[in-house]
Amino acid sequence: MTTDNTEKISQDAINLVIARLKTIPSNAKLSIGGEKETLSIENLIEEVKKQSEIGKKVVESQMFFLRSLQDLPLAPTN
Amino acid sequence: MSILITRPLHDAVTHYLYHWSESLVEKAKSKKLSVIDLQKEKASRKLVESYLEKQHPDTVIFNGHGDDVCVTGQDEEVLIEAGKNSYLLKDKVVYMRACDSGKVLGPKSVEEGAEAFIGYKELFRFWTDGESIHKPLKDEYAKPFFETSNQVALSLIKGKSAKESHDDSLKVYTKVISDLLTSKSSNSFVVADLIWNMYNQVCLEKQEI
Repeated sequence: MTTDNTEKISQDAINLVIARLKTIPSNAKLSIGGEKETLSIENLIEEVKKQSEIGKKVVESQMFFLRSLQDLPLAPTN
Repeated sequence: MSILITRPLHDAVTHYLYHWSESLVEKAKSKKLSVIDLQKEKASRKLVESYLEKQHPDTVIFNGHGDDVCVTGQDEEVLIEAGKNSYLLKDKVVYMRACDSGKVLGPKSVEEGAEAFIGYKELFRFWTDGESIHKPLKDEYAKPFFETSNQVALSLIKGKSAKESHDDSLKVYTKVISDLLTSKSSNSFVVADLIWNMYNQVCLEKQEI
């Protein structure tokens, strides 16, 4: 599931994740990993653009979500 | 049955972990369990080691920052480190709500005799609304992350096995994710990271190692 951190992420994936992040309410903040403080959407977009370790982790989880959609063990809806 | 729980409180992340773990302490007390609540400054290596060695709690729940090899307490003090003092988890069921704890520290603990270990083999994440720092239990963005992960501890408190508790948690993940994906709620964007936590939550048992 994990991405080799030295692996280059495609520009298409980066653009897609940035587009998804822009749809998230602006007040939302993400707590991720050893970061002591939460990261705003603006911070996350910057991290994704510069492909920092955090940025790569964000791309990884968003792409994993998109790929896993068809296999999700969803509960029956009422 | 006795339970030890660590709840450091020194930054935004531990603030949420601390408050969302309060209900676990209350639940354990209501079940008449013997509860060792190591909160804030009490979440220190000295006290954790002392209680593990002398009180022998059956179940240990850690909340805090972590990495492949360690989990930390108040002010980032290392509480348990793989190969150093992880042997203290021998014969205990451990739930570690900390990043990457399922990579090295989890397997090492079970190898050294822990009954079972539930943790995360990647970074544990959660969203907040940026406004509920003084009332984290009311934060609708954070709620799905803690309802799902708290279920592990709640099931352990009820006396279920590690595997049953892990499975109970996965069932709650499935329900919460389904509800979010089919709702118009403003917090449905959290699903991607919820799925991430779900797929990276691992349960290691003695016989598997």
